[in-house]
Amino acid sequence: MSVRSDRSLWAGVLLGVGASAFADEAVFHRLLRWHRFYDESASGIGLVSDGLFHAFGWFATVFGLAAVADAARRGVLRGRVLGGGVLLGGGAFQLYDGIVHHKLLRLHQSRYGVDISPYDWTWNAVAALMLVAGCWLLLPALRRPGGAS
Amino acid sequence: MGTGHQAGPAQWAAAIAMAGAVAAYLAAAARLRRRGDAWPWLRDLSFTTGGTAVATAAAAQLPGGQFTSHMLQHLLVGMAGPLLLVLARPVTLVLRVLPPGRTRRTLLAVVQSRLAAVLVCPPVAALIDFGGLWMMYRTPLLAATHDRPWVHALLHLRVFAAGMLFTTALCRLDPMRHRYSLALRAGTLVVASAAHAVLAKSLWASPPPGLVFPAADLRTGALLMYYGGDLVEVGLALVIVLGWYAETGRSLSRERRRMDAVPG
Repeated sequence: MSVRSDRSLWAGVLLGVGASAFADEAVFHRLLRWHRFYDESASGIGLVSDGLFHAFGWFATVFGLAAVADAARRGVLRGRVLGGGVLLGGGAFQLYDGIVHHKLLRLHQSRYGVDISPYDWTWNAVAALMLVAGCWLLLPALRRPGGAS
Repeated sequence: MGTGHQAGPAQWAAAIAMAGAVAAYLAAAARLRRRGDAWPWLRDLSFTTGGTAVATAAAAQLPGGQFTSHMLQHLLVGMAGPLLLVLARPVTLVLRVLPPGRTRRTLLAVVQSRLAAVLVCPPVAALIDFGGLWMMYRTPLLAATHDRPWVHALLHLRVFAAGMLFTTALCRLDPMRHRYSLALRAGTLVVASAAHAVLAKSLWASPPPGLVFPAADLRTGALLMYYGGDLVEVGLALVIVLGWYAETGRSLSRERRRMDAVPG
């Protein structure tokens, strides 16, 4: 893939990670209150990983927006590649959150007081779908190494 | 904890010193404008707001339970205040307004000294700021200052000074000996923000050693630390990223001019 498409792709990946982290924080922690701020079973390494992704999510949002503006002023912003990047970044973050944070490190569960397996499966299936959709959007750009579209 | 409840002489001294700094800043900016220099009004506003925030946090009764009001004070003195003060580029202003002479030379020598360069190296500044923060909340230090208002005031002075150092290091707005890269400043911001978030979550579960707070107060304080910290860290990210955007834009237009100059 050429450098041209890289700018759109990486701006998209950053925005995707940021949007996914923000949705997790705003919707599942604050609005629905399905996730807990702190779970007694959370390990130290879990809290560190959570803290790093939380912090990186904010920075990725801000830097991703500036990267989109930068690609636009260079005239190399491509919507399809940007969209693919957003889905890849968002899906990867959600899959990591769903498998590593929720399950392996037991940071907190996807929901409390209910049978959580449908929630976990939906969470991770949505993440996998986002990754597949992202790859599908990026296919034409990957096939043409010149990156012209 | 004896803070934010009854302002003693130490708290009033801090508030008066901050008010003095604001007055000096406004006078210096006014002098620059009188002689015809451009100095954006937004910087006056930023410095005044930051100074007011720090002075208020030092001397006024802040709302909320004991731990919550302590955390609000910490956010204003150590994070939000320093960001607003640093955005106003106070060192640049002083260097511009001072006439050539001994004082100006000394200040310039201090700002561009090797020691200053080491202190504003982002990881060093972050270690001083957030290492001190962990020490304050995860050792009996805070409990030990309980009945000693002057020692407690010193602790807050340290929070303020370390916050100023960290913000200066990340924003890179005032002149310095060495210009640290975007990657180093961004990476430091992410790691330091993570340390802040982890500490906030751990405070939600257990208070600083030797201190007891009602559970609701402790949790509100921890949430305030977590999300309040986010707010200031997004502000820092904006300063770093907008700086990168402007710099990239300048080199982009230089490149374009060069391309135009080459025939064919």
